[in-house]
Amino acid sequence: MSRKIIPFIVAFVLVCLVMVVSGVFAFSGAVTAEKFGGSVIWSQPYSTAESMKVINLMGDEQDELFIQNTSNVTLFDGSGNTLLSQDYQYPKTTLGDVNGDNKEDIVVFYLGDLGYSVDVISDGNIKTLAQNLSIGLPARVIVLRFAAGPQIVLGDSSGGLLSLNLSGQPVWTYSVGSEEIRGMDDALIGGKMHLAVASHDGWVAVLDSEGKAVWNTNQEALRRMRAFDLNSDGNSEIITGGEYGAHFVYNAVDGSQMYTQGMGQAVSEVRVVELNGEPSSREFVVGGKDGGVWAFSFDGTTAKQMWSGSLSDKVTEISGIDIDGDGTEEAVVGDESGNVAVFTGNGTRNNLDSHSTGIMRIDVGKLNGERYVVIADGSTVDVNKINFSSIPGFQYTPLVVGVIISAVILIIAAILVSIPKKPELKVSFQDKSKESLAAERRMLKESIADVERLRKAGEVTGDAYLARLKRLRGDLADNEAAFKTAGFPIKVETIQCPNCGGTLELGMDKCEYCGQVLLS
Amino acid sequence: MDALICVGGILLVFVLIIFFYLLNTARKKVAPANTLGKKDYLPIYISLADKPQSIMQGMDKLKVDVIKTEQAGDKWRWVPMIIFFVGVGLMFIDLFLMAFGYISFIFIAGGIALWIAAIVMARGLRKSDLYDFSPRYNGTKSILHTLRDDLRPNTTYLGHLDLTGALLSTKVARTSKDTQDRTTEYFRDEWLVLKAKLYDGNILRVSAIQKSKKRKSYWKRSRISGKMKSKPEKFKGTEHDLKVRIIANPEVYTITRTSPNFKQGLNIGKFTVSQLSTEGGIISFVASSPFEEVEHENILQVIQSAYSLLQRKAA
Repeated sequence: MSRKIIPFIVAFVLVCLVMVVSGVFAFSGAVTAEKFGGSVIWSQPYSTAESMKVINLMGDEQDELFIQNTSNVTLFDGSGNTLLSQDYQYPKTTLGDVNGDNKEDIVVFYLGDLGYSVDVISDGNIKTLAQNLSIGLPARVIVLRFAAGPQIVLGDSSGGLLSLNLSGQPVWTYSVGSEEIRGMDDALIGGKMHLAVASHDGWVAVLDSEGKAVWNTNQEALRRMRAFDLNSDGNSEIITGGEYGAHFVYNAVDGSQMYTQGMGQAVSEVRVVELNGEPSSREFVVGGKDGGVWAFSFDGTTAKQMWSGSLSDKVTEISGIDIDGDGTEEAVVGDESGNVAVFTGNGTRNNLDSHSTGIMRIDVGKLNGERYVVIADGSTVDVNKINFSSIPGFQYTPLVVGVIISAVILIIAAILVSIPKKPELKVSFQDKSKESLAAERRMLKESIADVERLRKAGEVTGDAYLARLKRLRGDLADNEAAFKTAGFPIKVETIQCPNCGGTLELGMDKCEYCGQVLLS
Repeated sequence: MDALICVGGILLVFVLIIFFYLLNTARKKVAPANTLGKKDYLPIYISLADKPQSIMQGMDKLKVDVIKTEQAGDKWRWVPMIIFFVGVGLMFIDLFLMAFGYISFIFIAGGIALWIAAIVMARGLRKSDLYDFSPRYNGTKSILHTLRDDLRPNTTYLGHLDLTGALLSTKVARTSKDTQDRTTEYFRDEWLVLKAKLYDGNILRVSAIQKSKKRKSYWKRSRISGKMKSKPEKFKGTEHDLKVRIIANPEVYTITRTSPNFKQGLNIGKFTVSQLSTEGGIISFVASSPFEEVEHENILQVIQSAYSLLQRKAA
């Protein structure tokens, strides 16, 4: 009975397991058939872009493409025509409303004929704001809207900071370490604007509007620093990435470490990406020098790794773009070899067309009313139309696969049950008459005597003797059992070893097979 | 790229192993000879303590049961192979999707699950495989059939037919070591023991014993390279002894000391009579054969020849 039922029970359990796993995959949305593709709408030559943004800078209704490299600042219109192209020496730029017209202006910090200068480009008109400034080679610039009023903060390559008011007059100076400023960002403390700044030699500081440090700290040599209010509580988190892989999240309020992890490779980029579509908290993606990509979520107290992936070379840019229009952003990651990959919210990687030179900057925005992804590599800037397609209902295919597997399991169980049990290969043909049983008993005793004789003669030794004897004594026990079953009187002459179960002659003190001492 | 080729190569080897395993299951490829080059037979042990007809019927039934089990499995032997190809088909759906740029592994996972199911089923089917019956099985049945009318009424055959194998560790009678410390095992396989009370009052006892010799595997240092090498075990030969004892009914027979048809050193079929004793009203002899296999005709021929030593008393 059990031979017929057990395979079906096992099959049923397996079918349940398969269907549960299929159901989990189907209803968790983990299984999708999606693909991302792109086509270039227009392309312009532009080498080694350092900064790029799709934004309205000309005062019209359309966004333009702002782009800056180590010697030039350019504005393209939505069709790729050049609206502005201005050469500078060592320019660093930022975007912010300097003249109070509620439109973004371009602020350029550069080395001019009269020393270090700041230009403001508003609606395509260039105006020099300050000249002959006492600061070093440009490294970073930022426009900050402090509660006390907006300021333009300049950072140089030896850790020096200089703040200017909107008239171009110096407000305060500060020094963060002694090496290049590698990050300047606006940080909130209690909802008030502050400046977060970090230098290459590992100094991180948060300054107020008067240029006084709220706190500062030092860590290993630093490549990237970004500040975001990840959980929208009015206090920013400051994320840093080190030359040797140290990755910290600081509390902007007091500089306490909220999270730290060694990434195993230099951190080359950090960006915020809304990966899970939950707007009250933002996720961030970290890129490594050896191609590592990690996504983290932040719960207000600490960060937690969501997934990890990789590219084949140094991650040079990360951008959060909602490509498929589902309300969550995908992380579009570019590397130094020119590869561009889209990482979805669960870390699935989809490759876009690769570029012949390293990716410099990636941004998304509307140009001529169409949403485009702009990718700047080492030699050109390409405006791409990214498309996304998926097979509808594909997420339920695990159920189809599960049903197929379950059907096969049940068929196999039915087939295996239909095969009869293997016949017993140790059989006994035994006549149950008293005379026959007695004759068999005599024969067995003769055989035992034969084996004993062979052992004495040295013809059989060791295991072979014991094995033969065990089998014959077993047959003798079977014979006694047959006698009893048939109701014939019999003098029992065998016992069973309580340890190994082997049949022994009555009266033996020790089991010959296992050595067990017998008390009978 | 190299890593891809390497991983692809390993996967291909796995797929080929699974394919040929299932193919061999489907084709029911004959089991290869064992390490000693001997064909394996169905390991049967039969205790004989019944009337000839019952024993022969039982032996026939056993054979039918074995064939029935085999045939039940044979009917489904191609199913694992079909499941394998269904798995391949599922995997091709994913490859098809990948060709269109969609990344999906769900059908590949399903295909692998089906392959595992196919392997499990193939193993189940292979379990129903049974080796062929040894020629000794039919030979013994023929001996029992031949002697059935010579048996005293209402008596039974007694003994056993042991076809579990001649080279089992439990059948090692003794071992010896040579000068190179190599171990040789001597096997004694008493595969047939038969005792019968005959119609004429005689008692016949027959034992067929196969004696085999096997050198165990050993390690040896190569004279040229100096490396330790494992030498496989080696089958060194086998021979057969047929021990027969006929206890003559003194009321019916007298035993003659010699007979031209049966004497020491006489060749009878594959056997040569090596020991002969007619003392105490018992004919006891050993017939030896250097052959690995002796047919039932040879055994019956020897027993028949031994009967020439008996002379019926005048009524």
